[in-house]
Amino acid sequence: MIRPTAERQKQWDDEGYLVFEKAIQGDDLKRLQDAFDHWSAICKEDWLNRIETGENSSTFYDIPDPFAKDEIFIDLVDHPSYYGTLMSFTNDQLILLGPQVRTVPPWPISYTSWHPDVPLSNPLHIKVQIYVHDVLPKSGEFAFVPASHKPSSGPYPKVRRPSSMPGYKAFPSKAGTAIVFNSYGWHTSMDNHTNIARKSIILIYEKSTSERISPDTFASIAQHCKTKQRRKLFSLEKYDT
Amino acid sequence: MTPKIDSHGHVFTKVSREFPREVSELIPKDHEEPIEKLLIEMEHNQVDQAVLVQTGGADIRSHAYLLHCLKSHPKHFLGIGLIPQDASNITQHMDKLANNSAIVGFRLSTLGGPRDPFAQIDIREFKTFPIWKHAAEKDYVLWLYLRAIDAHLIPYLLEEFPQVRVVINHLGICPGREKFSVDQDGRPQVETPAYNPAFHTTHRLARYENVMIHLSGQYAFSKEDYPYQDLASWHRSLYEIYGTERLMWATDFPWIFNNPGYEKMSRIISELLPDLSEYEYDQIGGENARKFLRFPACHN
Repeated sequence: MIRPTAERQKQWDDEGYLVFEKAIQGDDLKRLQDAFDHWSAICKEDWLNRIETGENSSTFYDIPDPFAKDEIFIDLVDHPSYYGTLMSFTNDQLILLGPQVRTVPPWPISYTSWHPDVPLSNPLHIKVQIYVHDVLPKSGEFAFVPASHKPSSGPYPKVRRPSSMPGYKAFPSKAGTAIVFNSYGWHTSMDNHTNIARKSIILIYEKSTSERISPDTFASIAQHCKTKQRRKLFSLEKYDT
Repeated sequence: MTPKIDSHGHVFTKVSREFPREVSELIPKDHEEPIEKLLIEMEHNQVDQAVLVQTGGADIRSHAYLLHCLKSHPKHFLGIGLIPQDASNITQHMDKLANNSAIVGFRLSTLGGPRDPFAQIDIREFKTFPIWKHAAEKDYVLWLYLRAIDAHLIPYLLEEFPQVRVVINHLGICPGREKFSVDQDGRPQVETPAYNPAFHTTHRLARYENVMIHLSGQYAFSKEDYPYQDLASWHRSLYEIYGTERLMWATDFPWIFNNPGYEKMSRIISELLPDLSEYEYDQIGGENARKFLRFPACHN
């Protein structure tokens, strides 16, 4: 397991994010891209129908139940590029809350505004955003306000354009890049001024707390969870308290 | 003195030779909700003015009662007309209704663009492009209560027509296909998920200064009785996103007449946004509509 260096730990503590370039590469990346593109094409018509019936937004869509569709999506959850780092940040008590295998079509406006995901009273909540294809500047790239995860930070203004947020940092990057961020911090996706959809995977984790995730949640992938560590990650087994 | 303005409601009479209209489950042939009934409610609740939105047909003849009401009460009402989907000369239709009347704009339920958000967008190919273009030329307001499938198309038109005043109806909700029904009180009902797609579409349009949004239609979306507390968070969110000066209160008369009643609807903003200042209530309750829609002075 690859633990973060002291320097990386300091950046996490101070800034609330870390970037892992080439976190997924080579055959793994090709496999991921193929699975993503294959399933997003297959699921698209159902998404369009759900837009029409008012059940889904037209500004993004997630491949439903991705773990049942391809094992690559499961393998991303404890990928060695960042798994050790996530374990360190959660005192080796990491659990997965869920995946979002997300396509964001071009649109004049970002599909979401600046926001933190959880209040500081929540157990440590971490997301990993993995770019499946290259995400160019001004194409809906992830953005974060460094240090906004700290209790002493803010308040932050309600801006109408993502680029109006003071002190933000946008993360255009190559396919396979993973951005780990503390979800107490303020983040968004930038406006997409291109005609290319943003394709990424957002993995949502938390530091384990009692009864947070039912063992039933990921029971359907139990056959892929042979190790004790993985069974705990997917809440099929409890961590020792 | 700030006027109180009900920024969206409907009136209609029984079908007659003088006032022809289309009939539907919502407005059967012998049903009427006349202007006099609305005026009584407005007076009882210190509502000074209102917007009357055409219902019962989009052709010119079906607008006869609306035009009659606007002409009879020029200081009280402004009107919003409809445009037939198959109109051969859209601009002529719009001008015919708006010329020499208090019709200030038109309501659209579709934009006529591509269904697929990944499609290449050319707004000139939208069926409603001529409507937007003419609204820009003639300073007409566009009143949007769009289908869910149209929601993603709005900003493309807002980018092209920043001069067109746009009012997004009923909390920004864009109803899904086959989600409409009529409830036991004869009111429209729209099945809507609590985590609503509008949060990622119409609620994202606040950057466009020409857009206002209605705080109205709660009865149609709520799973609860008045005061529809399950929608309080939607109101709070719209308040935070759009700000006090971009929201407009409306009752959606007459659908609320029996349940919960006009009086209750006249104070729904204070129920769902209880922490606003008096200034903010005044803005949402009338001042924003007065300025945006250019209501005539109603107080001496």
